[in-house]
Amino acid sequence: MSAGTEITRLQTIAATGLAGPAAHGEIRLAGPVSLARGRVHEVMGDSADIFALTAAAAAKGPVFWIGVSRDVETLAPTGLQDFVDPARLVLSIGLNRAETLWAGEQALRSRAAPCVIVELQDGPDLKESRRLQIAAEESGAVGLVLVHGRARASAAETRWTCDAAAGDGWVWNCTKSKRGPPGAWRASSSGKHHAPHLVAMAASATA
Amino acid sequence: MRRTLSLWLPQLPLDRRIRLGDQRVHDAFAIVTELRNAWRLTHLTEPARKAGLAPGLSLADARAICPSFLTEPADPSREEALLRALWRWADQFSPRVSLDPPDGLLLDIAGCAHLFGGERDMAETIRERAGDLQITARIGIADTKGAAAALARFAPAPIAIAAPGEAAAALEALPLAALGLDPALVNDLRRTGLQTVGQLYAVKSSELARRFGLELTSALERALGRTPDPVTPKSADPVYAARATLPDPIGLMTDLEAVILRLADSVCGRLSEAQCGARRYRLTVRPVDRPDEIMTIGFARPTVAPAAVLQQFRTPLDKLRLDFGADFFRLVAESVEPLHPRQTGFGHETRREDDRTDLISTLGNRLGFDRVRIYAPGESHLPEREYMTLEAMDRPDAPAWTPSPRSRPVRLYHPPEPLHVETPGRPPLKFEWRRRLFETARASGPERLAGEWWREGDARLRDYWRVETSEGLRLWLLTWPGATEPVWFVAGRFP
Repeated sequence: MSAGTEITRLQTIAATGLAGPAAHGEIRLAGPVSLARGRVHEVMGDSADIFALTAAAAAKGPVFWIGVSRDVETLAPTGLQDFVDPARLVLSIGLNRAETLWAGEQALRSRAAPCVIVELQDGPDLKESRRLQIAAEESGAVGLVLVHGRARASAAETRWTCDAAAGDGWVWNCTKSKRGPPGAWRASSSGKHHAPHLVAMAASATA
Repeated sequence: MRRTLSLWLPQLPLDRRIRLGDQRVHDAFAIVTELRNAWRLTHLTEPARKAGLAPGLSLADARAICPSFLTEPADPSREEALLRALWRWADQFSPRVSLDPPDGLLLDIAGCAHLFGGERDMAETIRERAGDLQITARIGIADTKGAAAALARFAPAPIAIAAPGEAAAALEALPLAALGLDPALVNDLRRTGLQTVGQLYAVKSSELARRFGLELTSALERALGRTPDPVTPKSADPVYAARATLPDPIGLMTDLEAVILRLADSVCGRLSEAQCGARRYRLTVRPVDRPDEIMTIGFARPTVAPAAVLQQFRTPLDKLRLDFGADFFRLVAESVEPLHPRQTGFGHETRREDDRTDLISTLGNRLGFDRVRIYAPGESHLPEREYMTLEAMDRPDAPAWTPSPRSRPVRLYHPPEPLHVETPGRPPLKFEWRRRLFETARASGPERLAGEWWREGDARLRDYWRVETSEGLRLWLLTWPGATEPVWFVAGRFP
């Protein structure tokens, strides 16, 4: 490792220690919903993809999408072109869960991508998520873990459940947030290449 | 004035066995090779010749003549390696040496011979030094490549020299095969009564060309020096490699890394002097108790940074088991490409671009480079063919995306997943998919697509329906219109 990158890394760590997670700033998805950089967030539910894509659109630069082949190969650029330019995406296909987590950690640590999306069947446990978390803190990237199965107790900063709402749009439910209140929002897409429009749902803001 | 020396190694495969210390070469022994579906003798030892065997005989016949003789199949790749080694060795006689496979070398000795005391002395020195290496050599010296090669192969003496300008006289008595012609052509010529090269001189070349083709006349012209045919020395491709042999085996990871870093420093230093970078590095580690371990790493772009090389080797080194240590290391740079210098560290974009290719290398070295992919647009209207994925390694920057005109699901299942219809309808009112029961709340469609009839394979019409279930899930259902028994599939999922 050259002296320059070492100094940058130490500076980043020092900044994180002094100023907390806010040192990396945050990315604003839509309306009041924003995700802290340098943190790992978990997304669940049938429409988790749309949440991840909105986050990827809000971040600039390459997006690494990591998962096992069964999950990653179903991703269609023709469908996600409305949210993210497919040329920004790099797919990494792990053979199993361990490889996927390793690749996620490498991608989060490398400063190459401001947004890393990891698809997992069951959510990361405390140890796995802590490792991802440390990797994200080093580079200040946003890590999103899409959980298809059950979530487990983890060190994630926030956890979201995203489902399609009847008719049009989605319901984004923040079920866990380490800093800040949970809440629920109703998001709807207002056409192509637009960030979803968010309306707070008063009824379920107590989740 | 050009002078060419042809060095012919008439029994190179046998010499290789002799150099290996094979004891069988003292008795009847032959090298065999498979020619036209039969094993035939190619090179024989003297006792084998005395027993009545000859090159070209099939192995079965040879066994019948001399039941006790032994054979070894030819090994062309090792013989070529030996020839290449001799080609480098021949550097001491002339700076311009070219290979004349399978068993010869050509040296341009213009201006070199006097250093060895004249052409004859030079030829004797070469034969003597080759003899020290246990290599039998025959030498021909003439003005042209063709004449020198013909003298080396067909002159009666092991050293044959044609004085300058006298190639024609020297070749006169040699058989036609000396011109290096196709055997079928030599046969044709023999049938017309032409036996030696000298007999061709009397025939007009236009007649020769009309009867036997330009191959014969051009070979003759080249041998006699009427058309230029210079020796083109092939320079050896530089090998960027370094090795370390240690007095005692080492096994600690820090020690291994120090050795590899030192090797990488040396290799990368030479590469950057040549303004090249390598896309692959191969490390050979020789544990003291086991055969060599070979590890290869790749890079998404030509690299000359020793630290990056070491970084990528860490993953395979972790898997290496060294119980008793290793004492030999060799690092080779492969896929060497010219390095285009770029401005570095001046903007965020270049740094981020570098980070991206570094990350692709890191991921590719562990997951496999076919598992790190990027999207490229495809030219089709079928949803599964509208895009394809490429290896990110080959394309440092992703191809520009041309947006597809139609709205497509974010998740596309290919092949489509069959669903079980509970309550039929168009689309089904109730169905089961992935062990969940769904009820159709809203549906729109169909979007009818024709198959690609210009391709092999499935060219049926397809109907796609956008279905929203009562739970809110938005699915993309597929069916084949016109089928007697309608079957339904889930082709994709909208977010």
